[in-house]
Amino acid sequence: MSTAPMAVPDPTPSVTLRALTKDFGGTTVVDHLDLDISSGEFFSLLGPSGCGKTTTLRMIAGFTDPTSGTILVGGDDVTSTPPHKRDVNTVFQSYALFEHLDVRGNVGFGLRRKGLDRRTLDRRVSDMLELVELGDKGGERPARLSGGQRQRVALARALINQPKVLLLDEPLAALDLKLRHAMQAELKSIQREVGITFLFVTHDQDEALSMSDRVAIMNDGVIEQCGTPEDVYERPTSVFAAGFIGTSNLMSGTWSAGCVTVSDTLSIPAPDHRGSADGEPVSVTVRPEKIWLSDLTPQMFRTAGTIVSNSYHGATTQYLVSITPELTLTVLEQNLPRMRTEDRWNPGDRVELGWLPEHTVVLRTTPRNRSESALRADARASAGTPEKL
Amino acid sequence: MRTRRLERRPRFGVFVTVLFFGWLYLPILAVALFSLNDKKSLSAFSGFSLRWYDDLVHNSALISSLVASLEIATVSAVGSLVLGTMLALGLERVRGRRGRVIGAVTLLPLVTPEIVTGVAALLLFTGIGLKLSMTTVILAEVTFSIAYVTVIVRGRLAGISMEVEEAARDLGCTPFQALRLVTIPTLVPALVGAGLLVFALVFDDFVLAFFTTGVDPQPLPVRVYSSIRFGVSPAINAIGTLMLLGSALLIVAALTVPRLFNRGTSSLDLITGGQR
Amino acid sequence: MATVAATDRAAKAPRSAQRTWLWGALLALPTAWMVAFFVSSMAIIVLLSFGRTTNDGYPAFALRTANYRAIWNDVYLELFVRSLVYALATVVISVLIAYPVAYTIARHGGRYKNALIAAIVVPFFASYLIRMYAWKALLSDEGLVNSGLRKTGLSDGVTFLNTPWAVVGGLVYGFVVYMILPIYASLERLDGSLIEAGKDLYHGPVRTFFSVTLPATRPGLYGGILLVFLPALGDFVSAQLLGGANTYMMGNLVQQQFAEGQNWPLGSALTVGMMAALTVLMVIYLRATSTQAREGS
Repeated sequence: MSTAPMAVPDPTPSVTLRALTKDFGGTTVVDHLDLDISSGEFFSLLGPSGCGKTTTLRMIAGFTDPTSGTILVGGDDVTSTPPHKRDVNTVFQSYALFEHLDVRGNVGFGLRRKGLDRRTLDRRVSDMLELVELGDKGGERPARLSGGQRQRVALARALINQPKVLLLDEPLAALDLKLRHAMQAELKSIQREVGITFLFVTHDQDEALSMSDRVAIMNDGVIEQCGTPEDVYERPTSVFAAGFIGTSNLMSGTWSAGCVTVSDTLSIPAPDHRGSADGEPVSVTVRPEKIWLSDLTPQMFRTAGTIVSNSYHGATTQYLVSITPELTLTVLEQNLPRMRTEDRWNPGDRVELGWLPEHTVVLRTTPRNRSESALRADARASAGTPEKL
Repeated sequence: MRTRRLERRPRFGVFVTVLFFGWLYLPILAVALFSLNDKKSLSAFSGFSLRWYDDLVHNSALISSLVASLEIATVSAVGSLVLGTMLALGLERVRGRRGRVIGAVTLLPLVTPEIVTGVAALLLFTGIGLKLSMTTVILAEVTFSIAYVTVIVRGRLAGISMEVEEAARDLGCTPFQALRLVTIPTLVPALVGAGLLVFALVFDDFVLAFFTTGVDPQPLPVRVYSSIRFGVSPAINAIGTLMLLGSALLIVAALTVPRLFNRGTSSLDLITGGQR
Repeated sequence: MATVAATDRAAKAPRSAQRTWLWGALLALPTAWMVAFFVSSMAIIVLLSFGRTTNDGYPAFALRTANYRAIWNDVYLELFVRSLVYALATVVISVLIAYPVAYTIARHGGRYKNALIAAIVVPFFASYLIRMYAWKALLSDEGLVNSGLRKTGLSDGVTFLNTPWAVVGGLVYGFVVYMILPIYASLERLDGSLIEAGKDLYHGPVRTFFSVTLPATRPGLYGGILLVFLPALGDFVSAQLLGGANTYMMGNLVQQQFAEGQNWPLGSALTVGMMAALTVLMVIYLRATSTQAREGS
């Protein structure tokens, strides 16, 4: 029964990026990024290799200098501050543990630099080791630890300094599947408990979706979409975002009178979509699990197709259904208890497909989403004004 | 389904290898054996005796040479360790053409025949009026040994990912502190290995010492050489055996001591690129 | 994975201006040392090669080509050729020894690999001088080999020393390790299944060697050739201890001028000549091997 006043969440964003740009000898790796990460958030930067997410992380940490733009941490401009003075700590992909120190030495390293007295330091180290469940490994050398244990030392070493934001560079990439899932849950709960903002970089969409409060999808140095995992999955705003996460059943067609005409035989209504002109080329997508092959309701949009193949995935069955010679949709059906093996569709079967109109997502086929500052920069460039650094 | 054929031990290869080891160790063992001979003969072994070693102990010139060599080797090892490590650190982190040119120049002593380096050193010292002595030997040996240290330390440095240094800075170290508190301690096994190796090499070095030594004291190899010029003798066998033993112990230490520092990389691995 | 590495590399490449001062400062002292001692000493050799000897017998700087004209004669050229031949022989023999030994240890050494390599390395880094002496002792007329031959009645005593073979043997004994180590390192890095596949494909150890093993270990081989040829060419200890006047090498000539002959300018010229020849050979060699690398595998 706590009588302490509830902690008021800090309104200042932990990290703010404004027009953050990084060029490497002609290539723009990070292009005018604008981003605000709220205090206490578990935020993921998700994207394929080479999209610039690691570079962004390194700029926030201070190991790489930006070409232009500003970085604010906890409201303070740190763009030109050296890494050892920033209130930021990093968990490296390779863990980067100090092999010549034992676990306690590693974990307490940052606090020693800050000049903490011996007793407080020992106590905080012990507490942190308890938190990451390494309480009995304090005297061990890193070389003797397993991969998962080393990862936890790296986490403890960074977290103990209570930074404004903790940067994690694909920290689970080196672990095997089972361990990775376990660590995902652990990381999430530690973050909740400690309340520190986590900025998590990964290329694994499952990881990002399951752990994050918000996800930013990066591609080619630009943030394609930023939102909650649900936003990003159910309502992608760009073709890339739709395609990157899960299976998307991406189709291209033309917008006309509230429908997307994909082919002569297929015209999908999208009553919720605004902003496209008649005749405009658009993309449309519908998630595989939203498509029904049986128990169709009148509200659903329906069409017909032929089963091309089925594959059994234990909890689900995946079908490839051919609608037109050029168009095949993926359908995911849960293997419900009331279904019998005979209920499964087989290749060659004619089926009727249906899905609710609200699950149809229309995407504009314009070039990728540019951030505001990027658009301003483009405008200035075409107007001939030199860009303010 | 073809089964995996295990490669049969190639008899030719084993044969050559055994021959090789025999050829390698035969002269060494012969020298050691006959240093214990109680007669002067080098072909007929008549009985055990330590008389030649006894003579050595009473040979004051030889003892002073031994001491001189030990001093030279120690100072050279320390000097080249310091300079070589500084060089390795600088080269590994400084990019660009400047770094590559300096790197190439520092490796030149390794590919230059020792006689050329020896002559060059002699000319330099005489040219600037520096009298030949132990100091000149040390100066020459350090110049030559820096390359060994640099190669070994760079090899180890390459294994320490940049991220470890970045982690140190991330946790509050200035670049200099990161060097002092993290990089150098991690380098210690390589430094020990390199130091021992340089000590052994310098102690045994003949050519460079020959050209740069003063009259007295002479480094041990130079004095031994003068004796050899006169011919073969059991006395030389004795001192030779001791020198071989001493160096062997040092080299073995150089190869194994780094391993003792929790899974450190031994110099051997660095030479053969084994572990990393 | 390759693209991840590429991004990492790209992210790490540029260093912040805040940091380079430290590393540059670290470079300064050793570079100054190397310039002071190594570079300038090399320069002096070149300078003195144009010098002369005073009447009192002291070397002095001058500007004469007399020394170079002096070395351009039959005797010295013959010496140069001989040194080349000995060094080449050393390289060839070293390769013939190194491959089987390195191969056997690398592929069949098992647990004892490191111990075996150490057993080779330790004697090599321990006193070159004493090991040459050991051969002198062994091969001399009163030595073990000859007495063994006499005892078994095989012969009346063979003169081993003072022959080219003794000198070359000494050179091989001194430097073969520099061939074994790079080849061993190359073999270590080699994927064993490559050789297995080659065996299946080529049906014979010799063909497999030339088609698979040799190309794959080429960098090690080239490194080894360089590391053996260069010191062998300039060596004088082996020829001094195991040979005689008829097996003199360039190194002996140079040593003579400085230690006994006291004709330093001539010695300098000889040294410059030797270094020039070495550099020319190295350049040709590097060109040849790099074009091979470009065209070949």
